[in-house]
Amino acid sequence: MTGPAPRVAITGMGVICSIASDIDEFRAALRHGRCGVRQLHSQNTTIQVGATLRHFDFDTWLDQLSSTAAPLFKRARKILANTTDSTKWSVCSALQAVLNSGLNQLEADGLPCGLIVAGSNLALNYTAKNWRSFSTSSQFNPRYAMSFWDTNQLGCLSDILSLHGPGMTVGAAAASGNAAIFQAFHWLRAGIVKRCLVVGAGVEFSELELEGFALLGAAFCDPVDSEPDKACRPFDRTHAGFVFGEGSASVVLESLETDYPKPFLGEISGASLTLDGTHLPEPTVDGEVRSMQAALSAAELSPNQIGYLNAHGTGTPAGDRTECHAIKSVFQEHVYQLPVNSTKALTGHCFSASAVIELVACILQLNGGFAHPNRNLENPIDPEMHFLRSEAETLAAEYGLSNSFGFGGINSSVVIRKGIVDGGRN
Amino acid sequence: MHIDKDQIFAVLKANTLLILSDVGANDVTIDGSLTDLGANSIDRVEIVMNSLQELHLKIPVPELHGLKSLRAVVDLFYRYAAAQ
Repeated sequence: MTGPAPRVAITGMGVICSIASDIDEFRAALRHGRCGVRQLHSQNTTIQVGATLRHFDFDTWLDQLSSTAAPLFKRARKILANTTDSTKWSVCSALQAVLNSGLNQLEADGLPCGLIVAGSNLALNYTAKNWRSFSTSSQFNPRYAMSFWDTNQLGCLSDILSLHGPGMTVGAAAASGNAAIFQAFHWLRAGIVKRCLVVGAGVEFSELELEGFALLGAAFCDPVDSEPDKACRPFDRTHAGFVFGEGSASVVLESLETDYPKPFLGEISGASLTLDGTHLPEPTVDGEVRSMQAALSAAELSPNQIGYLNAHGTGTPAGDRTECHAIKSVFQEHVYQLPVNSTKALTGHCFSASAVIELVACILQLNGGFAHPNRNLENPIDPEMHFLRSEAETLAAEYGLSNSFGFGGINSSVVIRKGIVDGGRN
Repeated sequence: MHIDKDQIFAVLKANTLLILSDVGANDVTIDGSLTDLGANSIDRVEIVMNSLQELHLKIPVPELHGLKSLRAVVDLFYRYAAAQ
């Protein structure tokens, strides 16, 4: 390949989470700081709050495509008749992203399109339910041997969307979404594909995983009798752990040719993926600093050029403290005017989907000229930083940076540039 | 359940020595902490949970957070053992 590596444009996006079932709803929910965290009524786990997709009915959602995108609707209905919830959430966000890109058919120009599904161990509750049924009555889903694989999502998505390029799942714990963006960024920059669909897949946790997080002290597990929406408090002195969320987001990425006339929603300017060299859940300042610096270096930007930061910000005391130290180390005096917020206070922590959901949140904020409120942040753990508070603020930034950090010392950051959009696309 | 604090400490100590293989038996004292013995966050969870299971005790997870010394762990276990 000769000449400079092509720029990487975001040309379509879709989202489903506890506060929105499409991009327009998500933009409004972010702007108003709506929160999807509600009380659970679980008998077997200490965790009593979650930002679940309790009201989402996939079949109802799919029905709306029956007239506008009939071929996609028919294939999706057939293929997803008996599969995991995580796969349905992925297809929901992916179809939105494809339709949002204006393409309808990602390989219409004859070029193979890449597909990366972010996440691993996605169908844990599906497995738990089948195991319970099998152990008590020897009954289980006849498709089980296909459906329990995370890679079944590649099969379902590529079948529905007729994709034939390179495909893989990418597992990096809570950083999976950014790791998938990192991978797609390099496929596009290297010319391996001209177009790639990245799907942040949600995880279906069983009560066992939730109790495991509670035991580690990472998840919020105080009793909640009222105001469950106050449970998730990133960067507040009273933060007491993450609140899990359900959801999925997808983006269509395309090589941006120099004279590409098409409007686009944003750009991936740089991305990083680094390890701390540890098997433990605790984050490190050094690892997070290296992650942000590597993404800035890939984008060929200095810290002062970043005008907005979407923090990993889960609401765990150790995680929030570490990220504050790392941000200050990278951005120095620039932190005083760098707006920082955490989308997880609104959506909960959607794990492997979270970074793609937050990438969509970044694009909506950069293009919409606003930074969403930091819900529940009343007494910041670091008063020197420019955290959003209970109200949205005007944002005039060209570039944003989004962090995602996973258990086992996996760090990933993405630098995002605002888009050139027409009225109909954003 | 008829179990005293010495028995609880003995179980905790045995599990500590099992998980922290480079710690000597004399290093595990009632007023010491698992962190001071070199236990990381996962080691601590494993030692406490293995001991709970061995003693057939059930304690709500939030109660297990923030225990600073082995004495605090023994006292908590004893309180639940007496009640159960």
